[in-house]
Amino acid sequence: MSKELSDVFKLSRDWLSVQEVVDSVSSPSCGAISVFIGTTREDEADGRKVVGLEYEAYEPMAQSEFNKLCADIRARWQSVTHICVHHRLGWVKVGETSVVMAISSPHRHDGQQAIQHCISQLKANVPIWKKEVYDTQEVNWKENTECSWSNQKKPPENTLSDGKPK
Amino acid sequence: MLDLCTFLHDCAVFLLQVCVLYFAKSVELAGVKEEKTVAVPTPISSHDLWKLLLQRHPRLCELQDGVVLAVRQEYVPIGDQVLTLGDGDEVAVVPPLSGG
Repeated sequence: MSKELSDVFKLSRDWLSVQEVVDSVSSPSCGAISVFIGTTREDEADGRKVVGLEYEAYEPMAQSEFNKLCADIRARWQSVTHICVHHRLGWVKVGETSVVMAISSPHRHDGQQAIQHCISQLKANVPIWKKEVYDTQEVNWKENTECSWSNQKKPPENTLSDGKPK
Repeated sequence: MLDLCTFLHDCAVFLLQVCVLYFAKSVELAGVKEEKTVAVPTPISSHDLWKLLLQRHPRLCELQDGVVLAVRQEYVPIGDQVLTLGDGDEVAVVPPLSGG
């Protein structure tokens, strides 16, 4: 009996359900479900606090880039069975979940590797943008260091992401 | 008008209409999310296409080196790459990504 492998990508203006994402990848042939959940952090800088994020996307291209990402994951880790990513659009308050991804595999190694690759490649290639909204009502469009045309440089290995030494 | 058509035809350059989409910071800079009919020549380099958009919306220069285009939903860096556009093609201005 042939196994149908599914790749699901959903952009949603509603809150995300981790259970729904996990359920959509579960399979009797899989002993492992690897999950990544991204949540909105309360960042504080220059005396102003982030109150939330506003997300937008180039929706049809986000879907096609996700399809390419799944093909890439499956080429690298052949045992990966199902892939599911749900990502928020619109306003996401601090503390809320912005992205949930789940990957199922017979054994945990491939799924764990694949989920790390999935989030870093989503940040590099899938056309989604977020702006931070501060308690001062200022806004700031973020840039992922993973994105090759970002102006943000990755900090050197022995420093924290804010530039301070480890 | 006839001379212009002959001239363009002799240069194998065609004028057509594309749809331009703007995202994230570029919406604030251009003041618009979508322009359904933008006249562009084809073929055209991605650099010249970017210049054409800058002429329409000079504030886009604030994106400077941190921007790419998407043509028919494929990323195109701004440079010498020559694009063959079709009438009705979708072009997007793509600031640095920040999904996830």
